[in-house]
Amino acid sequence: MTHQVALTIIAEIKAGEVEDIKQLLKTMSDNAACNSIIPFGKFSNIHFARLFVLDESIDLSGRLIPPCLVFMSECDAPLDRLLNELVDIAGEGLDKVYSHCVDYLSLSEITRKRRLAYLRSKMVNAGAFYVNTVGRTVQQIHQEAQLRNAIQDFLDHSQQDWSGRSSLEVRAKIQAYIRSDRTLNWARNPPAQPGLFFKLKETLHLVGIPLLLLVLFPVLILALPVWLLLLRIHELSDAAPDIKPDDAHVEELAGLEDFGAQNQFSAVGYIKPGWFRRLTLLGILLAANYGTRHIFNKENLAGVKTIHFARWVVIDEQRRVIFASNYDGSLESYMDDFIDKVAWGLNAVFSNGVGYPKTNWLIFNGAKDEQAFKNYIRVHQIPTQVWYSAYEYLTALNIANNAKIRAGLSRNMSETEAEEWLRLL
Amino acid sequence: MADTLELQDIQGLIIRGYGNLKAACYILLEISSPRLAKIWLSTLANTITTGQVRPDEKALNVAFTYAGIKKLGLESAILAMFSNEFITGIATPHRSLLLGDIEESSPLRWIWGGPNARPIDMVLMMFAVNDHELSDIYDAYAKSYADNGLLEVLKLDTVDLGGKEHFGFHDGISQPVLEGSPRTAISMNTIKAGEFLLGYLNEYGLYTDRPMLKPAMDPKGFLPHDSSGSGNVDLGRNGSYLVFRQLRQDVRGFWQFLDGATKNPDGSSNPTTRLKRASQMVGRWPSGAPLLKTPNQDDPRLADANDFAYYQTDPYGFNCPIGAHVRRANPRDSLDPEPGSEQSIAVGKRHRILRRGREYGPPVDPAELLSVKKTTAEDQDRGLHFLCLNANISRQFEFIQHTWVNNPHFNGLYDDADPIIGTHHLDGGTFTIQAKPVRKRFTGLPRFVSVVGGAYFFMPGIRAIRYLASL
Repeated sequence: MTHQVALTIIAEIKAGEVEDIKQLLKTMSDNAACNSIIPFGKFSNIHFARLFVLDESIDLSGRLIPPCLVFMSECDAPLDRLLNELVDIAGEGLDKVYSHCVDYLSLSEITRKRRLAYLRSKMVNAGAFYVNTVGRTVQQIHQEAQLRNAIQDFLDHSQQDWSGRSSLEVRAKIQAYIRSDRTLNWARNPPAQPGLFFKLKETLHLVGIPLLLLVLFPVLILALPVWLLLLRIHELSDAAPDIKPDDAHVEELAGLEDFGAQNQFSAVGYIKPGWFRRLTLLGILLAANYGTRHIFNKENLAGVKTIHFARWVVIDEQRRVIFASNYDGSLESYMDDFIDKVAWGLNAVFSNGVGYPKTNWLIFNGAKDEQAFKNYIRVHQIPTQVWYSAYEYLTALNIANNAKIRAGLSRNMSETEAEEWLRLL
Repeated sequence: MADTLELQDIQGLIIRGYGNLKAACYILLEISSPRLAKIWLSTLANTITTGQVRPDEKALNVAFTYAGIKKLGLESAILAMFSNEFITGIATPHRSLLLGDIEESSPLRWIWGGPNARPIDMVLMMFAVNDHELSDIYDAYAKSYADNGLLEVLKLDTVDLGGKEHFGFHDGISQPVLEGSPRTAISMNTIKAGEFLLGYLNEYGLYTDRPMLKPAMDPKGFLPHDSSGSGNVDLGRNGSYLVFRQLRQDVRGFWQFLDGATKNPDGSSNPTTRLKRASQMVGRWPSGAPLLKTPNQDDPRLADANDFAYYQTDPYGFNCPIGAHVRRANPRDSLDPEPGSEQSIAVGKRHRILRRGREYGPPVDPAELLSVKKTTAEDQDRGLHFLCLNANISRQFEFIQHTWVNNPHFNGLYDDADPIIGTHHLDGGTFTIQAKPVRKRFTGLPRFVSVVGGAYFFMPGIRAIRYLASL
């Protein structure tokens, strides 16, 4: 089993070439899986991928931030394999895209190695990265969907009346059928376990951070009242008015949504001015990263079970933050989930950003101001020009259910356990 | 403490469905002369039925599209305060995807409300005790259209099927009760007035956004003050958004599919299983009795039963399938974060609508449909004029339609859009009936209901109508 990693490549776009690059992205967006520039469907370890343009912007102190191209992917580790595949499969496509960006190679100097070096030089780390289920690879997701379909087809076509049979009997028939299909041989074994090195690293992190906090405890306990006081002072003064998003902006964003079971979300915003908000945000992102690595790493982000991946990336010398996610359902249901289930978590992060509804003590109110929060979301959202999903017909709940079907397929079961297992179908 | 409802300012249809007034029609109108129409409206405001008294003989209500309100001359800064859904309308390309209005239901093919149909500014809704009385009322309005600056786009008639819809099932049983109204219901069905009326607190304890004016813009003082205390006057208060969709039902298609899918091994029809499967798709038997309470046969004594939740009794869908129409349109306590909990019910209360639909078109008898080839009555169009009221179209009607009803992945399912009204992909949808020891399922489910017209309206309070007429 391999864990999942987040790729972020941010490259400044050459002056005057933003429209050219948007045109190019448009040609890719009709068929993200097999377009001629970067055919994402040919990469075996990509879960999701996206490209979007961050338009030119004026920061809070009046300085110009030039436009840039953001390329993100959520993929199975190692990241190096993806980078190599990118230059091997889509070398010329990358040239077409990045020739619009500052610092890219001129035609005569392009080599495989230099393309790779360019991508590496533009890579940015995520501040926090959420993975629905750490360790579940693209291959596993596809295989387990295939297994479920095979079982359903068998039940549909077997023409048997199962009523009156015991659960164990029905299960035995299914098992026999699966055994008879050689293409499903893999299903008899459980999915691969994480590598020893990865486990060790995660355990060290899991234990190390609390230990570090314990060591720092005397300092932290003294700093806490000061921090709380400063927080309240900021909260009482830096609240933003509720601004309704422009109808045309909403139409553009909505036009890229709801084609299938999943949707993409990309947004960018400024961090509130001053060191206090910046440090608070960086601290919260550290905590969020700890939470997603060790607590919310299996199918559930504090009650929300519809998010495949999400990340925060701090950019522009800590002036702005990008948030990007892949989720199931409509934006309305996504926002409602946020408000109803994880408002506290969102508040802790986003209230350090400009324009967020007023919070109290960092985690209260904020997103609970339903319409102000929804307005904030749409106002800060930006169009995701190209978006690819390796399994667009599956929700996170479907994927989790498929994994349970596979996990239970070969185990010894009692009648009650078999009954439960059959309920997964 | 619940807000007291200002019943004399609230249009009657929001408070009650006028079940005693068996005849109804909806007139879609275009405003040809805003000046004349406003004079007419100022008089009409005295005639509109309010929520104060239950009418015994007749009722009249009115609602406007965005285009209609704009024609009356409201300033653009105020117009922009209406919700995005109302402003952009039901027929935008994205909304069609969201609502499943694609292929045969595409707005491009709609009889009314679509981009190729005549523009609609308002709807006049008339109710009477019988068709004869109704036609008298209608004639009186119709003969003065020209004097009042109006053009009739379309008259939509309705039919009284005694509480059943065309597939043969008792409809409209579960309705939320507005907190602060005289009616009472269990807490799960008692919903804050602000979910249906603007200017009142909603289930978040907040006021839904609505058009608000500086008092100076209302010099005659028509409008009520903003109850949230901003000092503005409130054009939205006591108003509600009305979603209107004309849903055509393929009654023959429905029963033929079920007949084919439930045949005995010898090829003969099995009426008992056929009816049971149809009822499993609905989630209630033809009488209305919920499958949750009586999974094996109809029981008319339970026809109006509505005080139930799903999860405690039937967590796995063995009584009422998870994907049944009523279990997804109103999942009660079924959903995350914790099915069966108060928290689940609280989430559900933010996604409720007041349904006010009526049937149209001549009824057909399912048994006859399956035995006789074709009758003349069958060729006629029939279905439901689906009307619902809510304060936030996006969080209520559209959420229910997209995230619950039309979602193939609803509550952990894979490919099961609503078996009755869902949009399925071209190979047909799936309907899973959870059972012991293992599920049964139908595949290749065709679409039985299509959309042939629709629009988003705003149904203002009486004082707001007087204000609009004064512009």
